[in-house]
Amino acid sequence: MGPLIIALPKGRMQIDALELFAEIGYPTDESDIGRKLVFDDETGRLRFILAKPSDVPTYVEYGAADLGIVGQDTLHESEWDLYEPLALNFAHCHLALAGPPEMREANLRLRSGVRVASKYPNLANQYFESLGISAEVIYLSGSVELGPATGLADLLVDLVQTGRTLVENGLVELDTIMESQAVLVVNRASHKLRFEAIQEIINQLALRVEERRPKND
Amino acid sequence: MGDSNLRARLPHGLSDVFFEQAALKEKLEAAAGHVFAQWGYGRIYVPTFEYYDSLTTEASARTRSEMYRFFDRDGHVMALRPDMTVATARVAGTKLYDQPLPLRFYYIGNVFRHVAPQAGRQHEFTQAGIELLGVSTPEADAEVVSVTVATLVAMGLTDFQINLGQVAFLKGLLDNTSISTEDIVSLEDAIERKNPVEINQTISRLGLDQSTENAIRAIPSLCGRDGVLDSARKLATTRASQEAIERLVQVYKLLQDAGMGDHVILDLGEARSMGYYTGTTYHVYAAGLGFPICSGGRYDNLVAHYGKIMPAMGFALGIERVMLLMDEPEPLGPDVLFATGGYAECYPLITAMRQSGLIVEQEISGRTGQELTNYACQSHARRWITCQAGSKFIVHIGDDTKTYSPTELAEEIAIWARS
Repeated sequence: MGPLIIALPKGRMQIDALELFAEIGYPTDESDIGRKLVFDDETGRLRFILAKPSDVPTYVEYGAADLGIVGQDTLHESEWDLYEPLALNFAHCHLALAGPPEMREANLRLRSGVRVASKYPNLANQYFESLGISAEVIYLSGSVELGPATGLADLLVDLVQTGRTLVENGLVELDTIMESQAVLVVNRASHKLRFEAIQEIINQLALRVEERRPKND
Repeated sequence: MGDSNLRARLPHGLSDVFFEQAALKEKLEAAAGHVFAQWGYGRIYVPTFEYYDSLTTEASARTRSEMYRFFDRDGHVMALRPDMTVATARVAGTKLYDQPLPLRFYYIGNVFRHVAPQAGRQHEFTQAGIELLGVSTPEADAEVVSVTVATLVAMGLTDFQINLGQVAFLKGLLDNTSISTEDIVSLEDAIERKNPVEINQTISRLGLDQSTENAIRAIPSLCGRDGVLDSARKLATTRASQEAIERLVQVYKLLQDAGMGDHVILDLGEARSMGYYTGTTYHVYAAGLGFPICSGGRYDNLVAHYGKIMPAMGFALGIERVMLLMDEPEPLGPDVLFATGGYAECYPLITAMRQSGLIVEQEISGRTGQELTNYACQSHARRWITCQAGSKFIVHIGDDTKTYSPTELAEEIAIWARS
């Protein structure tokens, strides 16, 4: 059997994820990072592939990768047929409803329509439906803050990490829709066919994630 | 948008199959049909569509949402079959209730599911499978699994794994509690995703005793060989869950006795199932494919909805998924391309060739010379024959040619037919 293939999202999460794998005994050559799209760890037991974050579940569901690391926000925006055995306790952020300060007083339920810009149309729609709010969610692939600023939308639904982007654009958080962090996802067939190898990784990661947690957490 | 814009298009999730892929599909279906017949299963043909109510008997919410529905002219809701099992159960319950048991049926046919775009899923796909009705013994479970193994082997697969589970184990653990069906479904979903946070959240809502909670938490990791049975026995606190495990032990033993133990992994975490499954269930996985190629299970309550209590077990295999595991098939081509040139003397020879099993394509477009050679190469003909004056036959293989008299050619045919 070849190495286990692990899909990582390019960017910040990739660095955190590789650090976690290094801590459980699978270090990678620093010079590979940011240069190659496919590289092995130093033990040769793991092969990492770098994908666009929203593509990670696709690689894993089709079995092109055995495992993947992805934010819960990305994962739950679409429906996937994957195992989700472990939350990794990094890349914490939350999906928030935000808008201009005057929207604080608005009762959205009583409005016949509210326009919302978002990169997460499905999560946004689920949220509004669950509250009985008639919202028209407009999909934008980035710079969602421009929605309210240009009059395209009344509100936005987007990921918030520090909240600085919102403040810079004169926007305030109105509600938290979901908390998110990095999670491990596993292909169903891989989990069956390489049960022991994958279970070992899951157990090692789980142990390390627990050790990293502050004792009074 | 007018219809003319759609005329040349195929809706998403459907596909046309032709040339080598069609030949491969036909071959796999024939291999499956042959194995099923060898084990004593007779073919059943059921309608492509029926009343929606009939096809949704014991169907999960998910299956219902995936069904293609339409109205007939009287306003009844109809549906395309999402599997073959429910229709077969209807036939058994409504028409075959007084026949000697067991009933053994096999089917090969297309089923229809409107699924979100997902790995390896089309909206129309071909299932080959069996139903063994009227017997609930461990031997019946083992037979269905054994037929699965035999079918996959006949199709040319060797590297596959059967994850054998038992849906009655979880249900059995919750036997003496008053948990609603919805809660069981959400628990099964959480176990299905192997998501410990979700499992814990669901468990804490249910107010179960400590030993049951521990058993449920352990379910996702109950996967392996003999050791799994010992662990599961220790966790089985209710009579129903103990019986479920003992059943799994018996089926596993029978499969080992039949020499199929190597293919089987015990997997109690395999909670996902068709809504109607009641006992032994399994999925088959093959290296190189991210999703199962086969699934099967026992459904002892389904036939009763059609008027007769009759335990049953079956499995279905996705032909297209098996095709994904096969090597790229060889291009199709005739054994012989025959250009008669209008000489009637050719026909007895062509007939003799076909009778001896050779595939003979006749040249009917009037091609000769280089044009004929080009066409023979493009169509992957193994050899092509031209005729001179009705008495000489020139056989071309690649760049070589050889001339035969009718008698010599007749002798040559027998040699070709053997190779």
